[in-house]
Amino acid sequence: MNQFTLVGRERTILFSFMILGLVCMGITFIVDDEFHSRFWSNFLHNSVFFTGIAFLALMFLCANVIALSGWHVVFKRLWEAYAQFLLVGIILMTVVVIGVWFHAHHLYHWADAESVANDEILEGKSGFLNPVMYTIFSIIVVGVWYFFATKMRALSIEEDGVAKYDFSIHKKKMKTWASWFLPIGGFTSAAVIWQWIMSIDAHWYSTLFAWYCTISWFVSMLCITVLTLIYLKSRGFYEQVDANHFHDLGKYVFGFSVFWTYLWFSQYMLIWYGNIGEETIYFHQRLEQYPVLFYGNLIVNFVLPFFVLLRNDTKRKMGVMAVICSIVLFGHWVDYFLMIKPGVLHTAHELLGHGGHSALMGAAEAIPVGHQVAADAQAHAEHASNFVSGFSLPGLLEVGTFLGFAALFVFFFMRQLEQAPLVPERDPYIDESLHHHVV
Amino acid sequence: MSAVVSPIREPLITGHKDYHQITEDICAPSERTPSVAWVVAFLVAVSLLSFGIFCILWTIWFGIGTWNLNRTIGWGWDITNFVWWIGIGHAGTLISAILLLFRQKWRTGVNRAAEAMTIFAVLCAALFPGIHVGRIWVVFYFFPYPNTRGPLWVNFNSPLLWDLFAISTYFTVSLLFWYTGLVPDFATLRDRASGMRKKFYNYLSFGWTGAAKHWQRFESLSLVLAGLATPLVLSVHTIVSFDFATSVIPGWHTTIFPPYFVAGAIFSGFAMVLTLMVITRKILKLEDYITIEHIDSMNKVILLTGTIVGVAYLTELFIAWYSGYIYEQFAFLNRVQGIYWWAYIGMMSCNVLSPQIFWSSKMRRNITVTFLMSIFVNIGMWFERFVIIPTTLARDYLPSSWSYYSPTWVEIGIFLGTLGIFFTLYLIFTRVAPVVAIAEVKAILKSAGDQYTGEAMKKSHAAHDSHLEHGH
Repeated sequence: MNQFTLVGRERTILFSFMILGLVCMGITFIVDDEFHSRFWSNFLHNSVFFTGIAFLALMFLCANVIALSGWHVVFKRLWEAYAQFLLVGIILMTVVVIGVWFHAHHLYHWADAESVANDEILEGKSGFLNPVMYTIFSIIVVGVWYFFATKMRALSIEEDGVAKYDFSIHKKKMKTWASWFLPIGGFTSAAVIWQWIMSIDAHWYSTLFAWYCTISWFVSMLCITVLTLIYLKSRGFYEQVDANHFHDLGKYVFGFSVFWTYLWFSQYMLIWYGNIGEETIYFHQRLEQYPVLFYGNLIVNFVLPFFVLLRNDTKRKMGVMAVICSIVLFGHWVDYFLMIKPGVLHTAHELLGHGGHSALMGAAEAIPVGHQVAADAQAHAEHASNFVSGFSLPGLLEVGTFLGFAALFVFFFMRQLEQAPLVPERDPYIDESLHHHVV
Repeated sequence: MSAVVSPIREPLITGHKDYHQITEDICAPSERTPSVAWVVAFLVAVSLLSFGIFCILWTIWFGIGTWNLNRTIGWGWDITNFVWWIGIGHAGTLISAILLLFRQKWRTGVNRAAEAMTIFAVLCAALFPGIHVGRIWVVFYFFPYPNTRGPLWVNFNSPLLWDLFAISTYFTVSLLFWYTGLVPDFATLRDRASGMRKKFYNYLSFGWTGAAKHWQRFESLSLVLAGLATPLVLSVHTIVSFDFATSVIPGWHTTIFPPYFVAGAIFSGFAMVLTLMVITRKILKLEDYITIEHIDSMNKVILLTGTIVGVAYLTELFIAWYSGYIYEQFAFLNRVQGIYWWAYIGMMSCNVLSPQIFWSSKMRRNITVTFLMSIFVNIGMWFERFVIIPTTLARDYLPSSWSYYSPTWVEIGIFLGTLGIFFTLYLIFTRVAPVVAIAEVKAILKSAGDQYTGEAMKKSHAAHDSHLEHGH
């Protein structure tokens, strides 16, 4: 069974989830505030999350080619398929880009011309944080990534047709393309992350931020790989993938969960220790207003995989791996939620509160009662820290939206899997991968 | 390790060795009288060492005033050298531990020397915190033990104290890891020796007999130590970076420091391993065990880590601008265009630009280029620490206290002295212990020897395949 095809039942299930996602997004849009902050932040959150996973699949694929890695080859078609999702990522991000240009949403404080004009810091950053740069990084740079994804995929499929022990495509072409992509992806992704995510908290900055996001994506990508392999095995594909491959994937999930925590700690500890208001505000806000997510993030993404995957045997059991990877995948989705939502909410309050404030000020001077209204509006803006649906915690609509995007991701990569054999028979390292043993 | 090896892989042991030949080749350097080159090198190293000790005594006798530090610039060559040596001390355990966990076979050719280098480099590094405090007779204040000084206790909130713990832990684990690997090899030497030498190696090898039980324990201990050493490798330089990043000094207080210091440390460590291995393999005639393939792999690590460091430099520069914080912006402008601009250029050109030649496999496989590059990187990484420390301190918040710093002969002498310590110990090591791990090289012979892999294997496979076809 080397040729995958989507069966009718799978299509039905995936389409149902996609429809569920659309319905949830529709409801979110209707019940939303006047800026539709919840709708747009959900859209951005899921687009960024899955596009990043596709990007990391491509990075890891290229890194493995350059590192002369052999063990993963049997299922490398999965990563090639994930990487193709970058195309969908471009389309999704184009929607956000259009929103930036036409002020359809207020995700980014820097996109509001009036705020920038009255804000020295935002003005200082406007050379980087502006619609043109945002468009370049979201569409053109991601377009370049996608180009490499198609190239790696095409070479891999081309290799299926060569004679045994003919390594010319691998040695001459695949290695070259992979080695070009690593620095290009490595350098550009940082700027993309600053644009997409860090600039939501437009005043705040942290040099470590891009690396932290990247590793969060990477762990998610590994979890999806494990889950996909388990599912495909249950359908009878990939019988060559055995406990040894899961063991190594488990080591990766374990190791990079620890590394993620290392980056989390480095960023948090240094900001806490330095105790500079401009920096600590980021964590202060999250600790005060999002305590469940703040601590939950660490428990789900560190404590759990650390203690469960520390053992040798758990990494070799598909049941345990399936449970852990599902939870950790959701955990990293929540990690992105926590990176994106507080800033969006803050920006919305700022704009709503600020606009309301100035409008009411004129009235306040005329009538004493108006003064009270202005103060109330102010107080409302400041104490909006109380529970806000879809922001303080992911609600059912957020989970529904997530499932919709996840179904889109799965559907798209499964369509890609259909177009080539699952196991690349002529990869130079295929024999190593088929006889992989973890001591 | 998978038993099947792809024919695309290059062999890691050349010259059609058998097990006996491996023993002969690797034991030989410690069994013959030292060559003239060794004696000359040893004399030079010991002279540097002696001069270093003289300069340290000078510092202790006359006080820290013999250095050119001043009120503004309180850390100069001392801490620059400290961080430099700690960085170099990283590659050894990295090669051993992380590459062991990743089952990289090429580690066997270089791990022994790299681990030895780690230990010597950490010794050199440990010297500086001791002497830079000035009053060396109260240096025991470093250690947290129940004392009679009342409330005067070590400051547990200080990263400098965490550093002490991190480095001493790292040193201990690295030493154990290194020695564990040496035990079977010392036993090999013992079995070939007679007289005093036999007694000496018998003592060092802990009565190793090569029993299956010994090997089993050896394997488990190696894995456990590798597991412990891996987070330690990360932690040590992370904590060194905390020494700077926990402050609120622009240019020091930045969150990327921990992973960026670790990448830089691996970078400089690999460079030093290359510097040593390129010479060692030639002089001790170990070219069949430390092959061009090994050098190629190490150069790839140099390219990777150098580029990661480059990403970090550019990130720092960019975020300084992006922050909108003028002191932060000034700190970086000062690095690039300030009084120490030459150090910044040295750092950028040696660490980021020059390693880019390793994109070409011809360059990676050229011994002369590799050697020159390894020296470049050593210099560049020294400059990096210099850029971070005195350049930042020289321009603080008060322009009236702005200052300039250049070292005295005493400070230079101490640095040369640490080079002396390092090379003296390394040269002794090459005489006393096998420079390549004999047992571990033997373990990969069947899967990486040139009579079993690469072209040879491709041919045998092809023959096997055609045989099968004929059979059908």
